[in-house]
Amino acid sequence: MAAAAPTAIAPTYTDIDRQVRSVLAPGGLQYWAWICFCAFFVCIGASLWANQIYRGLGVSGLKQPTMWAVYITNFVFWVGIAHSGTLISAILFLFRTRWRTAVYRLAETMTVFAVLTAGLFPVIHLGRPWFFYWLLPYPNERSLQPDFRSPLVWDAFAVSTYLTISTLFLFMGLIPDVANARDAAKGWRKTFYSIVSMGWQGTDRQWRHFSMAYLLLAGFATPLVISVHSVVSWDFAMAQLPGWHSTIFAPYFVAGAIFSGVAMVLTLLIPIRKIMGLEDLITPWHLDNLAKVILLTSLVITYSYTCESFMVWYTHDPFEVVTFNQRYFGPQGYLFWVMVLCNCLIPLLLFSPRVRINPVWLFIISLFVNVGMWTERFVIIAGSLATNTEPSQWHFFTPSITEIFITVGSFAWFLMLFSLFARFLPIISMTELKEGIRYLREALRDNYRRAA
Amino acid sequence: MSEVRVVASFTDEEQCVHALERLLADGVRPRVFSPIPSEKINHALYLKRSHVRGWVLTGGIFGALSGFAITLGTSYEWGLNAGGKPIASIPPYLIIVFELMILCGGIAGVLGFFSNARVPALDPIEGYSNHFSGDRFGIMVICDEAEGGKMETLLKESGAAEVTSETLYSAELSPGHAAH
Repeated sequence: MAAAAPTAIAPTYTDIDRQVRSVLAPGGLQYWAWICFCAFFVCIGASLWANQIYRGLGVSGLKQPTMWAVYITNFVFWVGIAHSGTLISAILFLFRTRWRTAVYRLAETMTVFAVLTAGLFPVIHLGRPWFFYWLLPYPNERSLQPDFRSPLVWDAFAVSTYLTISTLFLFMGLIPDVANARDAAKGWRKTFYSIVSMGWQGTDRQWRHFSMAYLLLAGFATPLVISVHSVVSWDFAMAQLPGWHSTIFAPYFVAGAIFSGVAMVLTLLIPIRKIMGLEDLITPWHLDNLAKVILLTSLVITYSYTCESFMVWYTHDPFEVVTFNQRYFGPQGYLFWVMVLCNCLIPLLLFSPRVRINPVWLFIISLFVNVGMWTERFVIIAGSLATNTEPSQWHFFTPSITEIFITVGSFAWFLMLFSLFARFLPIISMTELKEGIRYLREALRDNYRRAA
Repeated sequence: MSEVRVVASFTDEEQCVHALERLLADGVRPRVFSPIPSEKINHALYLKRSHVRGWVLTGGIFGALSGFAITLGTSYEWGLNAGGKPIASIPPYLIIVFELMILCGGIAGVLGFFSNARVPALDPIEGYSNHFSGDRFGIMVICDEAEGGKMETLLKESGAAEVTSETLYSAELSPGHAAH
């Protein structure tokens, strides 16, 4: 062990290449069993959606007054999950944050697949999904265009722009790494990587234009990520419904999105790190910094919950007071306390430096945060609609089997896409790790000292 | 007279930059390969800033103007008076303008990169080694046969781990690879 220590704490470019390329090795039986497991639940979700299209939206359990429930909750949840990817890949890139290099590709990949998953839900939620294109600026037979004052049209523009820019950003970053994989690959993989890398050779001319394009894309992605979840929050805040009509929704949703997204990064990162043996590239230093982001955004979320409640108490608006009373102590009040537990209390464990570098603890906390943030979306969306301004209409929503399995199917769809990507394309940026190799070595040295 | 292609590979960025500086001092304009973007190499080569900026600016302006055109144009095309509100409401339209500015600017940036970096490269540069995407920095010089030996010596003295030389005949020469 003593002889191995200097190599372990001072990786070279070759070590980085070898470790990342090892992830691209053909998947074994367990890997394909996992893919089939995910595909099975995707098929169940797809079948239930087909049934919903055939029989009508009634099978979903949606009825007045709760016409937005699980599907829109899933939409907001998945858009939120997407946000941390852009935070880590673009915003932290602009700030030259060194710890992002080992985790940003994974986060950016998660972003693209999360937006793809989110984009399914407004369509699933449509009674006639084949008319989804009516939200696009396309005139109907009376030359009437969509209403550009509507937050739903803003959503269509924001989410499709976000998907396009995130995909381009991911693709741009992949080019040099795929060229690296191409140069070591054989057979069909070499052909595949040659097509994806588009003849990249890393010349001075190519790097000069690459660096500028990447920097400017990061610059564009940064305000975009803030705008997208703000627009999503305005789907609710622009309505006059108690529990929705609030000016703090945009920053509140953006903080929540980063919070849940970073938690999802950890949920994916920790098993991949263990299964693929990437402990030398994704060090406790990286985990520690991700945990600090979770802790910070958890405190922002806690402040937002407090602020929201304070505004209700201070304004004495009777409709808001009743809505929030029902939210805290109504028939589904337990959901609110679950979200407080998962989003405000459990993340406080991250004040402990030991917890922040312990993968098992981090994984458990990230699962709680995922549950808490999904619950938060459900409480805000379905809970507020359930207690509208007409008490005679009040009805607390319970998800149907169709909704539950379409939700499970969406998680399976996301995990399946992510797992396929991780096996066929570099899930860690070799280029950026090499650029910051000095910091990786320092992190490994710290880790080695700690272990010693 | 035939020409030679001299390719040197370096394990260290500093040595590569040192070799570059010596070549440039001799009036040779080499081609550099590297596994990472290097500020030092860019600095040594006195590279100008990328034209991709212009592409992004143009795309962004086009997107913003398109956003105004779509929102204002469609509002006035069918002037629907809803509760006495203005036919065209600028504040909500700014969201569409912003999104289209980002969308078109981003797409233009990627197209600008493709165009300026000559990607996809259908005619890859000869002399490239698989190590240049992994763990080596590379310098390629194309020069007269008489100067080949001098270049090899210079590159070896600068710390090249490996130097290879290959004679080119006129049919193999491509116009973009002139050394001097």
